[in-house]
Amino acid sequence: MEIQFLIAIGLFVGTYAIIISEKIHRTIIALAGAMTMVIVGIINQEQAIEGIDFNTLGLLIGMMVIVGIAKDSGLFQYVAITAAKLGKGKTLPIFILLGIITATFSAFLDNVTTVLLLVPVSFVIANNLNINPKPILIAEILLANIGGTATLIGDPPNILIGSASGLTFNDFLVHLAPIAFLVGCVTIGLLVFWYRRELISSKEAAEKIMKFNPRETITDKRLLIKSLIVLGLVLVGFITHNTTHIEGATIALSGAALLLLLTLNDPEEHLREVEWTTIFFFVGLFVLVTGLEHVGAINIMAEKLLAYTGGNETVMTLSILWGSAIFSAVIDNIPYVATMIPLVQEIGALTGIGLAPLWWALALGADIGGNATIVGASANVIVSGMAEKQNQRIGFMEYMKVAMPITFVGLVLCTIYVYFRYLI
Amino acid sequence: MDIKKTCLVSDYMRDTVVTVDEHATFRDALETMIQHHTNGAVVVNQQKKVKGMLSSWDLIEYLVPDYLEKDKHLAAFESADVFMKRIVEIQNDPITKFVTSHVHSIHAKASIMEAATLLSEFKIRQLPVINNEGTLIGYINRTDIKHAMGDVLGIHD
Repeated sequence: MEIQFLIAIGLFVGTYAIIISEKIHRTIIALAGAMTMVIVGIINQEQAIEGIDFNTLGLLIGMMVIVGIAKDSGLFQYVAITAAKLGKGKTLPIFILLGIITATFSAFLDNVTTVLLLVPVSFVIANNLNINPKPILIAEILLANIGGTATLIGDPPNILIGSASGLTFNDFLVHLAPIAFLVGCVTIGLLVFWYRRELISSKEAAEKIMKFNPRETITDKRLLIKSLIVLGLVLVGFITHNTTHIEGATIALSGAALLLLLTLNDPEEHLREVEWTTIFFFVGLFVLVTGLEHVGAINIMAEKLLAYTGGNETVMTLSILWGSAIFSAVIDNIPYVATMIPLVQEIGALTGIGLAPLWWALALGADIGGNATIVGASANVIVSGMAEKQNQRIGFMEYMKVAMPITFVGLVLCTIYVYFRYLI
Repeated sequence: MDIKKTCLVSDYMRDTVVTVDEHATFRDALETMIQHHTNGAVVVNQQKKVKGMLSSWDLIEYLVPDYLEKDKHLAAFESADVFMKRIVEIQNDPITKFVTSHVHSIHAKASIMEAATLLSEFKIRQLPVINNEGTLIGYINRTDIKHAMGDVLGIHD
């Protein structure tokens, strides 16, 4: 038992260290670590499979298929171009509208998908406005992560938490959307203040924008209608979960099946577009964490956390909020949350306290904390990669100078919110 | 009928070939192509060894920013001055950033059939021709192969 314990810890820490170092692709190392857990006998295959949360995987795959088909319709570009016209071609209102659109899309789509769809059209809008695109790109990173916090399906950590805790889509909406909305508004306000000298308008630019015809972005009107119907149905599915008790994976995969049926597209192409590397990364993490749980390491960590906080609910909740934020700023929030979930459950088992505040603190810290650095979340890395290709490199310090204070303000707001809503 | 018995690459290849140095810039490559009225050039090092191929196609692809390539409908909205700005911006970029470096070349003593096979299999338009030392001595393109086919059937221009 003692040796098994040490092997499991060693495997886990070693694997996470390599994931953080980014020397090997995170999916490869997570899968290799997970399989080693099974081969050396820490857990057997049956236990490993039991540890995989297929509800999370099904939800992710279903949403990836739906968005993969829907994005070809031009819907997202249509909204962005319409916003530019709605802003009358003036830089400041367009900047604010793009921020709002990013947060809204991100609440219902994966953060990475959101920025992949919005960054290209943002470059075009910035070029027409004749302004530096960087403020818009940085705003999109921050708001993608904040918007993702608002719903169960907005960000993978939320999907993980929702699936493990039994908290529903509506629970997330009621508890996280209000604070995400507030943090989003304050973030836009601070960004406008920070970049006030760069967000200038010109008459020629406004004229160019006003000539846009948003309809030209719609590539396939029938596909657009079908996609909107399916996205709407999926949303209804999530909102009515409390009465129907249909689980997330069933809802998302049914939506995917329906959209495939409606379009009769070649499934081969759309299933290939599913980010299988992300899915297998999750599989690897689930198995690794199961190994750690099995040898009792999670239990020990939970006891340590309880001892350190004296079992005080307020201290514990706020520690999780800020601890999660700091961890997420440095490492990917998905492996972090995957480890924290059994730990929070263990705390529940040990103390019998209501876990809801802990779950909200975990989600808020992990989702919003990722904003602090350019490597804090996947969306950040993707945007900085796209910017670099256009000779608009966003430097590590350059990003942090803006994002760190804004993230800090957001987390202070979260602290106040969590404290007054759940802890007194 | 006057059919050449051999039908070797050396019978049909062109000896003068437009080359670009491997360390050239976007601007150098464009200049060479415009001045020599060609859409293709062989990239060579100082020893005249083939390092890659460059076509006007590669220049165009490099010119178009990635974010427009991902989303063809966006191009209609892009600001018109981006074309000029982008060219000025990339003019000093090294051609290594967009050159096709995995190139097929063919020996001067190879058969025309082998050259035709390479062109058809890889859907390419021209092949650099090299000697025993691997040095560039010419090139052969679709037009040359066409003439080789015409020679067999006695068709001339």
